[in-house]
Amino acid sequence: MGGQACVLYGAAEFSRDTDLAILASQANLSRLRAAFSELEAEVIAVPPFELNYLRKGHAVHFRCRQKEAAGMRVDVMTKMRGVDAFSRLWARRTTLSAEDGTVYQLMSLPDLVKAKKTQRDKDWPMIRRLVEADYFRHREKPTREQLRFWFLELRTPELLIELSAIHPNVCRRLGKQRPLLKLAMADAESDLIAGLSEEEKLEREADRAYWAPLKAELEELRRARLRKG
Amino acid sequence: MISAEQLVGEELAHWYLLTPMERWRETVKLWQQYLAMGGSLDPEPDTQSPFFDPATPSPRPVDGRSGLRIVRRGRV
Repeated sequence: MGGQACVLYGAAEFSRDTDLAILASQANLSRLRAAFSELEAEVIAVPPFELNYLRKGHAVHFRCRQKEAAGMRVDVMTKMRGVDAFSRLWARRTTLSAEDGTVYQLMSLPDLVKAKKTQRDKDWPMIRRLVEADYFRHREKPTREQLRFWFLELRTPELLIELSAIHPNVCRRLGKQRPLLKLAMADAESDLIAGLSEEEKLEREADRAYWAPLKAELEELRRARLRKG
Repeated sequence: MISAEQLVGEELAHWYLLTPMERWRETVKLWQQYLAMGGSLDPEPDTQSPFFDPATPSPRPVDGRSGLRIVRRGRV
């Protein structure tokens, strides 16, 4: 998930760190601990690498020291706001194989888009690009699932208007789930831009509210770390 | 129909149309160039992130300078 997934899905060209979504279980954590040991990875911030923090929705931040991966940052999460439980994410994952036999397991594009709906400015252009890239690759012969995904997640006014003109019945049907689709059907571009902005604002507020207690817990952990010296 | 080039420009439109593994190969090349230029692997400080902690230690480059280096000087 994260920046590397955005590269593979076409929204970014480069990402300096790697984010992993994992199943929150003790056995899985032990396996990950062994892998991090090989990478000589150390936790560089609060919280500590413990299951209870991951289950609450915190991320654990590592930096690798092993020669071939020196300086690499890896963040681990098990739970994200607005995103299904890991078992469902895993069932919907995208699997890619490289020529050298390396297999990459990516969060599905619709799940990644949901995970990116955060309070951060930088995630919103990324969402726009993720859906645009998928739209331009598949718009000639879309599946029902793709049409649904684009109608519910596109953030590009011009493309929403185009899509609603080509598939008005689907647009009408999904209008109950995403009211601004009515504006796309009416070709009301400036109202549509305002509607998209309002959607973003509400998601960012929801993300801030979701993180408020977690941030308070992080602050407390930082203070405790300082007290310990 | 709106073309990708019209909407996002030629460079990004080309990137959109690559396959995921083609993108992966290209990003690996960028990685190699970035590291060869002494680029830092630390993410940029993101004050909007709920994880942001100004006290998080970051490794210093071996030369003690910033991660950017001038690789070529000369008139354009």
